[in-house]
Amino acid sequence: MNQNPHDHTPAPDCQASAGYYELMEIAVRELLVEKQLIGPGEIRRQIEVLDSRTPALGAKVVARAWTDSAFRARLLANGRKACEEMGISFYDDTQLIVLENTDRVHNLIVCTLCSCYPRPVLGLPPDWYKLKPYRARAVREPRRLLAEFGTVIPDDVEVRVSDSTAMVRYLVLPERPSGTDGMSEEELAALVTRDAMIGVVKASVPEKTMEDK
Amino acid sequence: MTTENPIVTHLPTEMGGLDAGPLQRTEHELQPWEKRCHALADVLDFRKIINTEEKRRGIEALGSEMVARLSYYERWIVGFANILFAKGILTPTELAERMDDVAARNTCIDDKA
Repeated sequence: MNQNPHDHTPAPDCQASAGYYELMEIAVRELLVEKQLIGPGEIRRQIEVLDSRTPALGAKVVARAWTDSAFRARLLANGRKACEEMGISFYDDTQLIVLENTDRVHNLIVCTLCSCYPRPVLGLPPDWYKLKPYRARAVREPRRLLAEFGTVIPDDVEVRVSDSTAMVRYLVLPERPSGTDGMSEEELAALVTRDAMIGVVKASVPEKTMEDK
Repeated sequence: MTTENPIVTHLPTEMGGLDAGPLQRTEHELQPWEKRCHALADVLDFRKIINTEEKRRGIEALGSEMVARLSYYERWIVGFANILFAKGILTPTELAERMDDVAARNTCIDDKA
C-alpha cells in the first residue's frame, strides 16, 4: 500500500500500487452499489459523459455566437438554453451565464471556494484553475495574474471577475479576432481555446490573414 | 493596523483575495481512479445523496492541514466517506473492512510482500 500521501507519481493500471485513497474510492463505490444506492454501471456511464465534454463544445458555441447575432442574443440571455439548443445537454442542475468580452470589458472566471467550472461545455478544469495562486489572486489582482498568462489588458479596459458557485457557472465569450471575416464557423471554432473561454487569454489570431477573394 | 490571521477569518477552502505566490500553470491527465472519483461525485449528486454544497462543506470540514496535504481527489474521497458516515449510510468499520478486502483480493498487491 502506498504509505506516502504525497507520492503522486502516476499509478500503473495494476492495483499493486493502488494507494490508500484509491482503495477508499473502490470500497465506497462497491458498498454504495451493494446497498443499491447507485447502479452498477452508473459510474462507468458518467465517465463516458465526462469524456464526451471537451472545450471543442464551448468553441462551437462561441463560433456560432460570432456568426449569428440572434443566437448570440439568446446565448447572453440564457446560456444553458442556448447551449441545449445546439444539442449540448447539461447533465447537472447548473445554470450558465455567458459573459461577453468587448473592447471595453474583459471577463475572467474563477471559483475561489473550490473548482466550479462550466463542465458541460468545457469538460474538467485544468489543475491551475483549482490551485491557490489562481483562486486567491484572480479576485484581488486580476491584471497581474493575466499578465502571467501573457495577457495584458489596457488600463482603459475594465476587467470583470466572476466567481462561480455550485449552481451558477460562467463562460467567457471572447472577442472575435480581426482578420476573420469570411471564415466558416468551423474555422472560427479552431481559434477558440479553453483558456480564452476562461478569460485568461484572448481568442487566437488566425495564422495567415484571410485574403480577399 | 491589526493584521487578520487567515486561519481565523478564512475556512481552508476560502482563499479568494489571500496572498499567494506566482501562478502554477500545471495540468495533468487524471488517473483512472481520479476520474472514477469525479464520476462518483456526479452520481452522488444525481442520486441526491451528496450535493455540491455538501461536498464543499465536507472538504472544508477536513481542516486546513488535510486540505493542504491531500491532493484534490484525495480530499474528495475522504470528504465523501465522512459525509456518508454522518448520514448513517456507511460506517467507518465497514469501509475499513472493505478497503482491506479490496487490497487483499488483488493478487498484484501481494507482490509487495
